Amino acid sequence: MSNPDKLLFPDAGITKFDYVKKLHDLAPFILTYTKERNITTIHYPDGVNGKSYYQKNIPDHAPDYISHRMIDGIDHIIIDTVESLLWMGNMAALEFHIPFNPIGSPDNPDALVFDLDPAEGQPFSQVVEAALIIRQNLESIGVKSYSKTSGATGLQISIPLGRKLSYNHARELNLFFARYFTNKYPKIFTIERKVIDRGKLLYFDYLQMWKGKTIICPYSPRATKTANISTPVLWEELEKGLKPEDFTLHDIMPRLKQMGDLYKPVIGSGLDDGIKNLVQSLKKPNA
Amino acid sequence: MHTVWKGAISFGLVNIPIKMFTATEDKDIKFRYIHKSCNTPLNYKKVCPSCNIEVSEEEIVKGYEYEPGHFVVLKDEDFKAIQGKSGPKNIEILDFVKLSEIDPVYFNKTYYLAPQDIDGKAYNLLRRAMDQTGKIAIARVAIRNRQTLAAIRVYRDALVMETLFYADEVRPSEQIPNLPRNTDADEKELDIAVKLIDSLTVEFKPEKYTNEYRTVLSELISRKIEGEEIRVAPTVPKSNVIDLMEALKASLQETKKKTGRKSAQPKKKKAGKAV
Repeated sequence: MSNPDKLLFPDAGITKFDYVKKLHDLAPFILTYTKERNITTIHYPDGVNGKSYYQKNIPDHAPDYISHRMIDGIDHIIIDTVESLLWMGNMAALEFHIPFNPIGSPDNPDALVFDLDPAEGQPFSQVVEAALIIRQNLESIGVKSYSKTSGATGLQISIPLGRKLSYNHARELNLFFARYFTNKYPKIFTIERKVIDRGKLLYFDYLQMWKGKTIICPYSPRATKTANISTPVLWEELEKGLKPEDFTLHDIMPRLKQMGDLYKPVIGSGLDDGIKNLVQSLKKPNA
Repeated sequence: MHTVWKGAISFGLVNIPIKMFTATEDKDIKFRYIHKSCNTPLNYKKVCPSCNIEVSEEEIVKGYEYEPGHFVVLKDEDFKAIQGKSGPKNIEILDFVKLSEIDPVYFNKTYYLAPQDIDGKAYNLLRRAMDQTGKIAIARVAIRNRQTLAAIRVYRDALVMETLFYADEVRPSEQIPNLPRNTDADEKELDIAVKLIDSLTVEFKPEKYTNEYRTVLSELISRKIEGEEIRVAPTVPKSNVIDLMEALKASLQETKKKTGRKSAQPKKKKAGKAV
């Protein structure tokens, strides 16, 4: 390992050596979501306060044990083993961003994802409140949903699609929900793309979910001062209230050992009847 | 710049592993087509007019129309099978010629070539040898089910590849209508024209020429944005979005009542409160 004593998270006191060790603990959780996907990593060679760069391509100096796959003309890195994850850690990859679909399913995403990002100065508690509204509405049409902190400022809600719907269909559903929530709760949600016109409303980003776009991988660390982890949480925990900084590289492992992988159903289950009904209804004319 | 292709130049017995990058980019201002009356960007759907359904990528194959309505279908395997003896991912140098012998009409697209290995020894060898002889290479390139003709030459410090049209892809100039056959010209007029050319002759500096149309167009766009002369795609939905959702909720309640699973009904939360 190069520069084991370099502080990657100076405020949290995490050196590169500590970081790679923590990645090793997180590996079984992270690998579930990276192993069959191309990945975009963000590297902070001088720690979270320094410059960063993005990486998708396999670099020339990559050792032979790193998997890679040619997709659309780019030779992508695939993180599918503990060794490859640790190698990325040694290269100061602090954030792991994944596409919405595995390589073998190029047109069908695993889940419908709502990315809830607060406006500048909006407290996290309002993001939580908005998420609970979404969850309650989904539940009342018979749709199960799962949430995780982005680890930065927002929350993400996922509805498993069992890879049964195309990106086009998923976008139609996403647009439907975006319209429903902005219309029914105009004082909470907006789909205004221009930041300046959003005001203090929560941006319902229905356009982020698309082929080639990415989302922070479950259990990926974030390049934040407190070394947060993008952490799946129970709805009951959100009801009680929580903060993104509650889950960090320092203290995540006991939680994961106790709760297991709360996000597994997102990539593992099929379509809820509620979604099936909604898809049917949207197909009808005048809907 | 991101790699568009990885492969090797084969030059005699030497193999030079290279990465390819596009050298030029089109900077035209892009427009989207939007529905005039509601400002929504249009969707493009692949629709089968016979079956009257939208067709997904997996359901599409390539067909060669040998006579109207009659097709030969070629699958990925077929393309792979004929990919050629030169092997995949290969730029095979065939001949060396002088650059001045190639008329610009043959040039199609330019790519930069970079060595894959760090020391770039073989890359440099080819570069030096071409520099010294003043020759450029004509090569056959096999990329993604396609075969292209190309010229490889030295541009500044780099090897570049110009894809070339095949001879039969350049339309014969004999097809140009109204070309005057007689090349005689009035001596005096010719003299004046030649003098005019001489007086306008300068060294070619590409940065001197800018796309004025693009500048004016982007100024016009900026003015419209500043003047709020803009249109916004509809975010205000039709009210039936809410109706549909409420209908779905009601039908689920109904089903639950019938099956008697009242306990599964969602609890009312203090949702919907303004923040």
